[in-house]
Amino acid sequence: MMASVVYVVDDDRSILASLESLLASEGYEVLTFDSAQAFLDAPVRTTPGCLVLDVRLRGTSGLEFQRELRRRGNPTPVVFITGHGDVPMSVAAMKAGAIEFLLKPFRDQDLLDAVRNGIELDRSRRMAESQMFELRERYAAMTPREREIMPLVASGLMNKQIASSLQLSEVTVKVHRSQIMQKLKARTLADLVRISDRLSGDAGKV
Amino acid sequence: MADRDEHPASHSLSRPFLQPFLAANAAGLWVAVAITLSLVLVSGFVATMPFARAPLAHSELLLPAYASATGLLEGITAALLFSLYTVQRNRALLFLAAGYLFSALIVPSWLLSFPGLFPAFGLEFGLQTTAAIATVRRIGFPLFVLAYALAPARGIPHGTARRSLIGAIAMVAGMVGLITFAIFASSESLPAFMLDGRRVDRLWSYVPPIALALYGLDMAILLRRRRSQLDLWVGLVLFSLVVELLLISYLGGAIRLSVGWWAGRLYGLVAASIVLLALLAETTMVYARLARTVAAERRVRQNRLTAMEALSASIAHEINQPLASMVTNADAALRWLAKAEPRLDKAEDALRRIVEDGHRANTVVTGIRTMFTTGTQERAELDLNALVEGAVQSASTEAMHGFIEIRTDLAPSPLTVVGNTVQLHHVLRNLIENAIDAVRIGGEWPRRVIVRTRLEAAGEVHVSVADNGTGIASDIVERLFDPFVSTKPGGMGMGLMFCRAVVEAHGGRVWASPNQPRGAVFHFSLPAAMVPAGDAPDMAGADQRGVEQGGAR
Repeated sequence: MMASVVYVVDDDRSILASLESLLASEGYEVLTFDSAQAFLDAPVRTTPGCLVLDVRLRGTSGLEFQRELRRRGNPTPVVFITGHGDVPMSVAAMKAGAIEFLLKPFRDQDLLDAVRNGIELDRSRRMAESQMFELRERYAAMTPREREIMPLVASGLMNKQIASSLQLSEVTVKVHRSQIMQKLKARTLADLVRISDRLSGDAGKV
Repeated sequence: MADRDEHPASHSLSRPFLQPFLAANAAGLWVAVAITLSLVLVSGFVATMPFARAPLAHSELLLPAYASATGLLEGITAALLFSLYTVQRNRALLFLAAGYLFSALIVPSWLLSFPGLFPAFGLEFGLQTTAAIATVRRIGFPLFVLAYALAPARGIPHGTARRSLIGAIAMVAGMVGLITFAIFASSESLPAFMLDGRRVDRLWSYVPPIALALYGLDMAILLRRRRSQLDLWVGLVLFSLVVELLLISYLGGAIRLSVGWWAGRLYGLVAASIVLLALLAETTMVYARLARTVAAERRVRQNRLTAMEALSASIAHEINQPLASMVTNADAALRWLAKAEPRLDKAEDALRRIVEDGHRANTVVTGIRTMFTTGTQERAELDLNALVEGAVQSASTEAMHGFIEIRTDLAPSPLTVVGNTVQLHHVLRNLIENAIDAVRIGGEWPRRVIVRTRLEAAGEVHVSVADNGTGIASDIVERLFDPFVSTKPGGMGMGLMFCRAVVEAHGGRVWASPNQPRGAVFHFSLPAAMVPAGDAPDMAGADQRGVEQGGAR
């Protein structure tokens, strides 16, 4: 099993202990916290993880805490557990991006499935993030002229058309084009189109 | 008073509605106003004495106005009394209302038959008709009042109230119709009340004394029985009728349309209006108060429901937590055992936690039972100092785990109170455990809980549990003792509510205050027991039971 960590936040010590044992039996690294604040105070980990959160917490509600995490830019997936859940509560939790909303006492398999899903989600998110990071670095390595030409190439224009619209010689465009392909590690035009899409999508998000 | 005691059922039925009539101040004020005004009026009319028998020419023009005013007043009064009857369902009221209705219904025929009033309509009946009608009305009303005065104030069932109301109205209307028909039909052969259209014959001279005698009899009975404020009002009405009759028949010489005759009529009218106004004001007040009471009751019921809901939610949560923990622990244990290399140590840990959870669930159930079962009413003399020591002892393990020291600072002599050992033990346990939790979460070193007992000068025993923990947020301090309000992780959302319920049931109070420099102090006080030697044997037996009950836990 790849390295992963499950955070459990519940203000009931016996629940905390039982969850720790159950998750540890499946080989997860488990970190338990008896308050939301304790979780926030803990050092940030880079391992993919999932957060198991009780809806009813001392001082704050689990839902409020979930929002607080998002505000702080912590995207760790959340699995909610609660002793007395109602429909509006679960809807609110799911809308805010929770993986699952489980009623205590829950079936162990349900929790383990939810946790596995959460961790997978976190892992792929992290992977996508690191790929994106790499792409941005490659993009940064290009010259301004190359950045100007890249979208034109990606949009399917021929070298001749690009040359005339930028008033460059066709040979120059050809050189730039191979430079772009090399710097972005794109083997084919289709690769380039995909990369361009992701970069522009990222730019749109930021 | 005695009469009301004879009929407890009717008493409880009618009390809410009669209460305002009995509620002294307002009614007393009205009576005073009415009497003063009537005295002023009487003296004013007495001042007209020299001219009392002088006829007022053409004053018959005013008769229709007077008659309609009288009829209307009596009609409204009847309606008011009928409506009071439907609510109060008191048969006596039905007679009174019927009397007013009777009086009101007769007025039109009296007016129509009045000699020389409506010649244009060709309405000219025999000379004696008007007087005969007046006689029936004069004597009929006090008879109805007599029935009212003598009727037992017995409530009658709901359904029959409506039917008997309709029956009464129909009967009165029929009676009035029959009588007037009989009088009109036999207008030629009626006994001679009148000499002419204005002056009375000798026969009439019997009518006022009979009426006066009836008024007097009614008043005497009413004043003697005086079941309610309404009796007083009716007495007042009768008094005004006496004055009216005296003015008409003696001061005015029974000469129609003379100054004295008019004075009497006007006096009667004013008196009736005042009484009606008073009745109206009283009834409005009754209904307003009733509406308020109903609204308040509904609110109380709503609150109780909400509290019960909160309480049951709290109980469900309290039991569900250990249950959830048990299930998860059992799942974990199974998984540890199912591994290729079973981890017995881990499975054992999980099983041990299941045992703890079971005990915890049991504590919750026991707490609830302590709260609700019978037997919690048993009281005995007990020493609060000993109880505190017991509670501290039972909390000591938990305190030790949190590295918390529980100190006791007890009053030097035994603090005897009368109370329920089990309940008070739970109160102390609750407060001490709360304090331990507060210190464990955010206490400063040295972590310490101090339990004090004192005998206060005012015959009160004071117990306080002080901690140097997190303290109480100001926004929650007001609701601290409400159900389902908790600042504590997994804590009894109903713990402090239970404490308050128990302490208040023991005639004490419970409150919280901030501790210096940090933390909170929870206090409760109980009335100290007198220690009379005479009661000792009885109390000792009860004490024994209490201790056994406490020890059995």
